[in-house]
Amino acid sequence: MPIVVNLDVMMAKRKISAGELADRVDITPANLSILKNNKAKAVRFSTLEAICRELDCQPGDVLEYVKDE
Amino acid sequence: MAKKWTATKSLFLSRMLTIASMAIAVITLFCIPYLAEWYDAISGNPPIRNQLIVCLYISDALGILALWQLHRLLRNINLQRVFVSENAACFRVIAWCCFAVAGLWLFMFVTCRRFHEFIIAFMAAFAGLIIRVIKNLLEAAVELREENDYTI
Repeated sequence: MPIVVNLDVMMAKRKISAGELADRVDITPANLSILKNNKAKAVRFSTLEAICRELDCQPGDVLEYVKDE
Repeated sequence: MAKKWTATKSLFLSRMLTIASMAIAVITLFCIPYLAEWYDAISGNPPIRNQLIVCLYISDALGILALWQLHRLLRNINLQRVFVSENAACFRVIAWCCFAVAGLWLFMFVTCRRFHEFIIAFMAAFAGLIIRVIKNLLEAAVELREENDYTI
């Protein structure tokens, strides 16, 4: 899929662990892992909002469009 | 509570009927030559014993395969695995079994010119078509479930 989730990059920048972020965003660690590993098919606005709030970033910092070859 | 009990009983009944049908289909395998002879004796038409035996053996084998797929499907439903691609694959195999039986009996109708062979072919093709539509429906449901599961 041409949408890439750069959640791990932002998490490293903010020095926050997956378990802690999952706890703060109120999603399960398994779902956070799906998101981090680019396996998600869709992201709810409420989840994106919580991620941006906790990581203090913009949606564009987490999501990136990469053209298919 | 009563609804749940009825659903469990219904599933159990379906599984038992499938197993019973499979047993009948397996027993029929051993009786096919006698059935063909009996048919030739009562039909009053020119004998077609050999073609009929081949046709019945293939149809019965396909029937057993379809029933086995049905058994797998019911086992998955019993395990609460309903919207999975394995079930869609079972429906696909069953539909192709029906189409193969339809093709076989259509060939028999073309070669032997007996109307009831056309009826069997038509019924098998119609059943195959309905099962294929159910397969398409289940495939769409599997896709929707996956999308729902992977929406975070």
